[in-house]
Amino acid sequence: MPEKVKERFNWPITIALIIGLVTVLFPLYMTVVIAFKQPSEMTNSIQGILSLPAHWSLQNFRDAMVVTDFWRSLFHSLLITGVTMVLTILIHSTAGYAIGRNMGDNPRFRLAYYYITSGMFVPFAILMMPLVKQTAQLHIDNLFGVILCYLVFYMPMNVLLYTGYLKNIPLALEEAARVDGASTWTTYWQIIFPLMKPMHATVAVLTALGTWNDVMTPLVIMSGGGMNTLPLAQLTFQTQFGTNYNLAFASYLLALLPILIFYLFAQKQIINGVVNGAVK
Amino acid sequence: MGSTSKKRTFLIMLIPILVLFFCFNTLPLIRGLIYSFTNFRGFGGYDWVGLRNYVDLLGDARVGNSYLFTFKLALAATLLVNVASLVMALALDSKIKFKSALRGLYFIPNILGALVVGYIFNYFFTYIVPFLTNTTSILADARHAWIAIVIVCAWQSIAMNTIIYISGLQTVPEDVYEAGSLDGATGWNKFRYITFPLIMPFFTINMVLCMKNFMMVFDQIMALTQGGPAQSTESISFLIYNNGMAGGQFGFQSANAVVFFILIVTISVLQMRFLSSREEQL
Amino acid sequence: MRNDTITRRGFLGLTAAAGASSLLSGCGGTASDGKRHVEVVTYKQEAVKIFERLQDEFNATHDDIVVSITCPNNATTVMRTRFIREDYPDIIGIGGDISFSNFIDAGILADVSDFEGLGHVKPAYLDILETLEFVPTEGTFGVPYMANAAGVLYNRQMFRGHGWDIPTTWQEFIDLCETIRAAGILPLYFGFKDTWTTLAPWNALAIELAPSDICQQVNAGRTTFTEHYRETAEKIQALLAYGEDGPFAYGYNDACTAFARGESAMYTIGSYAVPQILSVNPEMDIDSFVMPGNDSSDGQVLNSGVDLQFCVMEACPDKEAAYEVLSFLLEHDNMQTYVDDQNAVPCTTDDFDLPDMLDGMRDYIEEGRMADFQDHHYPSEMDVAGQIQTFLIEGDVDAFLAKFDADWTRYNRDIIQKVQDYYATQA
Repeated sequence: MPEKVKERFNWPITIALIIGLVTVLFPLYMTVVIAFKQPSEMTNSIQGILSLPAHWSLQNFRDAMVVTDFWRSLFHSLLITGVTMVLTILIHSTAGYAIGRNMGDNPRFRLAYYYITSGMFVPFAILMMPLVKQTAQLHIDNLFGVILCYLVFYMPMNVLLYTGYLKNIPLALEEAARVDGASTWTTYWQIIFPLMKPMHATVAVLTALGTWNDVMTPLVIMSGGGMNTLPLAQLTFQTQFGTNYNLAFASYLLALLPILIFYLFAQKQIINGVVNGAVK
Repeated sequence: MGSTSKKRTFLIMLIPILVLFFCFNTLPLIRGLIYSFTNFRGFGGYDWVGLRNYVDLLGDARVGNSYLFTFKLALAATLLVNVASLVMALALDSKIKFKSALRGLYFIPNILGALVVGYIFNYFFTYIVPFLTNTTSILADARHAWIAIVIVCAWQSIAMNTIIYISGLQTVPEDVYEAGSLDGATGWNKFRYITFPLIMPFFTINMVLCMKNFMMVFDQIMALTQGGPAQSTESISFLIYNNGMAGGQFGFQSANAVVFFILIVTISVLQMRFLSSREEQL
Repeated sequence: MRNDTITRRGFLGLTAAAGASSLLSGCGGTASDGKRHVEVVTYKQEAVKIFERLQDEFNATHDDIVVSITCPNNATTVMRTRFIREDYPDIIGIGGDISFSNFIDAGILADVSDFEGLGHVKPAYLDILETLEFVPTEGTFGVPYMANAAGVLYNRQMFRGHGWDIPTTWQEFIDLCETIRAAGILPLYFGFKDTWTTLAPWNALAIELAPSDICQQVNAGRTTFTEHYRETAEKIQALLAYGEDGPFAYGYNDACTAFARGESAMYTIGSYAVPQILSVNPEMDIDSFVMPGNDSSDGQVLNSGVDLQFCVMEACPDKEAAYEVLSFLLEHDNMQTYVDDQNAVPCTTDDFDLPDMLDGMRDYIEEGRMADFQDHHYPSEMDVAGQIQTFLIEGDVDAFLAKFDADWTRYNRDIIQKVQDYYATQA
């Protein structure tokens, strides 16, 4: 059907979405403008906040990079987020698969499902102090400990997502493979895991986003460790009685870019998944 | 024949993960539970106080108000976000031009740091909205400040829920639509009778995730009102963190956290059961 | 106000913050290099540059001791998590507020009364530290370093231009507000959306209208807040008439910007706000005066508390080395560096050049006529700031005072028990 290649765009929806963008672009405009201004240009008037900066200069961005030790902090952030994301996808999808395929007829797996997902509702504040103590006792009050904590924090949400997604993947596919003599592991890795690609991308985005912006976990687990992630370094802009919004905003814009690029990449995976895959 | 080995494989997959989860979630939770029977301040020594913290909880008006506020907010935000992100997902998944750019831009609210969101929306509610509508700031109005928080919560989290819905929409095979369009299903009917039932599991997930996120709302409160005006926007997590971690009420707020945990788990299990039963009906 | 402002203002943290720039990780005692190590953690993140310099200077001039000084943002969280891990620094730099009281009570601070440097600390500040103990405790647990002062900041240029005088009584202050308003200028800016800012005028009034040891007296069961806080409450309420419209819509940052832009003649806040104001208007000429709370012209006292003190931890293995570091920090020139940079009030009896914006408070500082912030005794979880804001919105003095007393006994139950046990054994 080569005619189908000639896509017809749905213009009313496109236009509606473009108009709706104002809800995003207006705050973004304010952020950008403030990031370029000097503290002395800050006012309490509407014209003042909406006006363009007196000079367009990248100085704020340069200063912000120096203050946050940008490249080093970026490296730590990328490391934590990257490792967490990869481990999350591998471990949580496995858990989701084991639970999702068995919870229907096996009460023990159903129990495991409720056990893990209920972990989502434990307020972090109650876990914080015991976790700090525990990680210190195990001598993992470092990057490794932070990643381990993330693996556990995001497990409930991700197991929920993976088991939910599995409901839409027909059992028939696996059974066919098993008839051919493939083991459960092989079936999982070769058939199910690739099929869950859109969900991997979704999980990756959600997990990456959570870890990328998180201040609390690295702060309390590594406190005093001297290793700054970007959000930790950015707290420098806020002292007790004063905030340099201009530098802070510049820094936030810099920190926003990597995750936005990652998202744009990931969302392609979300779309190019199952439909082009084996589900027919 | 392979049934027992299959079962064993599934257990081998699951058990190490459960152990990990137990060590870094359940174990600290149990320790927190123990603190809830003490007057621990977060450092130094402490005494056992039995059920005092739990008895105090019942009579604490501030805690009571925080529960009411949190429920009100969570309910409103969950409904708003789910409706909006479902619409957004359908729109962004349809045949539109500039698809990637639009998806990227709509994702931005989810990434902006709390300092930025707090500053921008404070400005928006304090200066811009009153100027446009000739009213006073909603953030200074103890009766309505929660609405501003709902708006900001929704603004930030619609992106995330949209992603989940979009990934759900990918599981709907093209041929179902094709079959549907042969039957003349279009527009609302197509959504109501074909699309929605098929993405029902994702609706469940989003409802639960939203409810959970908004029940635990904290960042937006700190960024916008810090519990004010007149202590009208203190969420449960806000109290647990500020009074327990940062203040000296660690034991008492641990008790609060335990009660909150039990409550929210109950709600969510009920919610999941209800929605799962709907899934099966559809 | 300290503890409170950290939790409320440090929202970015939603949380908290680790160190500025790359922190040197230090650990107490003697390390493998054979040198004695002293680790100092202060909560003054804004002074990070000064402390880095002092640290390097110390290390360059001392062969046997290595000091590391860090200033993490929202140090409360950092310190607390380190205490949980029993990973204590040797010295902590904290404010003289209720967390200090709690630390003494928890027994994690060492008695430093044998430190010679205490000899030239102003007695007024040592007394303030004494009163912060829940029950009288043998020993001195902190070395006061810097104080802050709160009252009223004013636009000196504007005052000169109009020929306004500095008020010395409550009546004069109200008259001044009327005069300023008559001139078409907004007298005061509050920024009460950030609840902690309500504490600035509250403290300044309370120290002149209520006994300075009111909190201890209430804990001992001798009096109530209803009895002593009524006038303070009524006066802070009276001030509202002279501030911006709808003060609960504007926060600290708005108020600093507005005052810097000349939108108001005065601003009821402490000297700590000056850097933020100057960032908006670097040319501004700011001075301050003591908020006159009562009508006797010689009855005014300055609202000043210990903003930064150094406490040696009980767990510090090498107290001698810690004292050496403290002696270095207390050297005149090092303190002057800090004073110049932070607009702080030094706590020692040496001669210092005080910052301009403290001109109006100089006499009080030199004479030691001052009283501690009363909120340094309020437990942060009671959220007195939020209660004051609620009261100012709703306007019901009786309800506010009744709630204050009821909440006080609720939030301080264990402390009250401790105090009353103490007096029972004393009697």
